[in-house]
Amino acid sequence: MSFAIFLEQIINGLIIGSMYALIGSGIALIYGTMRVLNLAHGEFYMLGGYFVFFLAVTYGLPSWLAIPVAVFATFILGVLVQRLTIHYLLGKEGWMFSTIAATLGLSIFLQNAALLMFGETFQSVPYYISGMLRVGDIRLPYQRVLIFVVAIATIGVMTYILKKTRLGWAIRATSQDRDAAAVVGIPAQRIYLITFGIAAALGAVAAAMLAPIYAINPWSGLPILLKGFVVVILGGLGSFPGAIAGGLILGIVEAIGVQLTASEWRDVIAFTLMIAVIWWRPWGLFGSKPS
Amino acid sequence: MFQPLTARHWLLIAAAIIAMAVVPLLTRNSYLLHVLILSMVFGIFASAWNLVTGFAGLKTFGHHAFFGIGAYVSALVAIHSGLSPWITIWIAAIVATVFGLFIGLPILRIKSMPHVAIVTLGFAEIVRIIASNWQSLTRGELGLWGIPAFTGFTLPGIGKITFSPADKVPYYYLILILLIAAMVVISLLMRSKTGLAIVAMRDAEDAAESLGVNLTKQKMLVFGVSAFLVGVAGAFYAHYISILTPMAAVGVDLMILIIAMALVGGIGTLSGPLIGALILTATVELLRDLDNYRLLVYGAIIILSVMFLPRGLATLGDYFKKRPKAPTPNA
Repeated sequence: MSFAIFLEQIINGLIIGSMYALIGSGIALIYGTMRVLNLAHGEFYMLGGYFVFFLAVTYGLPSWLAIPVAVFATFILGVLVQRLTIHYLLGKEGWMFSTIAATLGLSIFLQNAALLMFGETFQSVPYYISGMLRVGDIRLPYQRVLIFVVAIATIGVMTYILKKTRLGWAIRATSQDRDAAAVVGIPAQRIYLITFGIAAALGAVAAAMLAPIYAINPWSGLPILLKGFVVVILGGLGSFPGAIAGGLILGIVEAIGVQLTASEWRDVIAFTLMIAVIWWRPWGLFGSKPS
Repeated sequence: MFQPLTARHWLLIAAAIIAMAVVPLLTRNSYLLHVLILSMVFGIFASAWNLVTGFAGLKTFGHHAFFGIGAYVSALVAIHSGLSPWITIWIAAIVATVFGLFIGLPILRIKSMPHVAIVTLGFAEIVRIIASNWQSLTRGELGLWGIPAFTGFTLPGIGKITFSPADKVPYYYLILILLIAAMVVISLLMRSKTGLAIVAMRDAEDAAESLGVNLTKQKMLVFGVSAFLVGVAGAFYAHYISILTPMAAVGVDLMILIIAMALVGGIGTLSGPLIGALILTATVELLRDLDNYRLLVYGAIIILSVMFLPRGLATLGDYFKKRPKAPTPNA
């Protein structure tokens, strides 16, 4: 195997990793703000993918319009899910477990609702742009370049929102100390709704960008959810920057691992990495050991 | 749970066992027996999961790994070594226990519930992918078939007992005995010092530790016992169904089914998971025509029971119980 192909695989790993980062950061945001582990997060990805498919393929909207509409629709879905289920459980006795269980039920519910409504056919969306980028011996479809660019842009926007806007301050304040945030007039319940929506929307961005590469089907949520979990374990649960770094690391490790074994072992590599991290640094690669 | 059993409890338990034991005498309807056998397999599974999740407070979402390990190990050992399933189910259960301890050790050191949930789920997924990819051994999704049935024997006074797909009665009594044994193990464990320690630890981990409860040791014990019981249930399932696919034996759907059962019946109670297993298995069979909606219904059941019946059906009786009379002040 030539070095160029090896490098190509690493770059591909980095690109897929940037999508893992978006998924993981959604899980991290929800956990960071309301300490809820969202097992239904993969379903936002799956439904986001279907929204893009229906808008772009069935109704023939141009992709620059279809994707934002789909992302917004998923945002609304996320808000509804939070308001209709999580909202009633938070703060009740045993809420930490009941929210996990409820989102698990929600996940299986949405997955099978999608199966009944959309059928079991695997759908796909055509490439948003064609052509191939060539740098020396390395060849890369523009579609993959676009994925990476969108990921960087999304992460940039999210970082800006979290660091520079009043909404971002409110989210971070609520995640640090809900009661103290409430004392200074931050409406925690509304922040929870928005955070859930944003996290769902991040999943939809990833779904939109991966739709041309991976097939859209009712079962596509679970594998991506598990990848998102690996990411948040690597980066430290609840940390936004940790999730970004964790996603990129996971992408690269998977790419190298698949080179050494075979592509059907990709997921085993990811989960083994996660269990190794749990043994070695349960608080994540970048977090500090809790005292 | 820690009060001494009253005569009323013993009567209820005896009545339940007798009721279950006489069913095959009243009907030989193999479909009905099949449903009851599956309920009991899932009953063991749900009770063992509840032991870890409800009593010890370790919220694992990956117990289907041990079911799959039990099923595949017992089937493969029986096929390749020619050992009788009577021996291989115990080998399989021990292998499941070893894996349980292997995955238990790292997660038990962390006190974070989400980490436990994620790691156990990931571990089960590794087991499923290995069962699916290692086709030279497990035949992957094509299904592992040709799993030997339990060898027959002669029981004095009753005659020859053979295990064949045609006659479900021997399987029925075998799983009933396994279920009773599992419940005895769980009850004894919960009434021992370990039981007190793990409930103390669930309710107030730091306080329990400060009083000298060795958390890691107790948690490992409970986790190991639970993995063992689930492994036995899986191994029985393998020799009963006699065909295994990774989706059916280690799929996440299985875990969802078990969680739904425990939640409906009542998590953290002894009888809850059994009630849940019976109700849900029977409901699913009644709704056979609605097979496409099966998982949709399970999802809805989990959401609804978490939201509206957080303590399960087993505790429903408490709402109707007469309030104890207020002690009358001495005149």
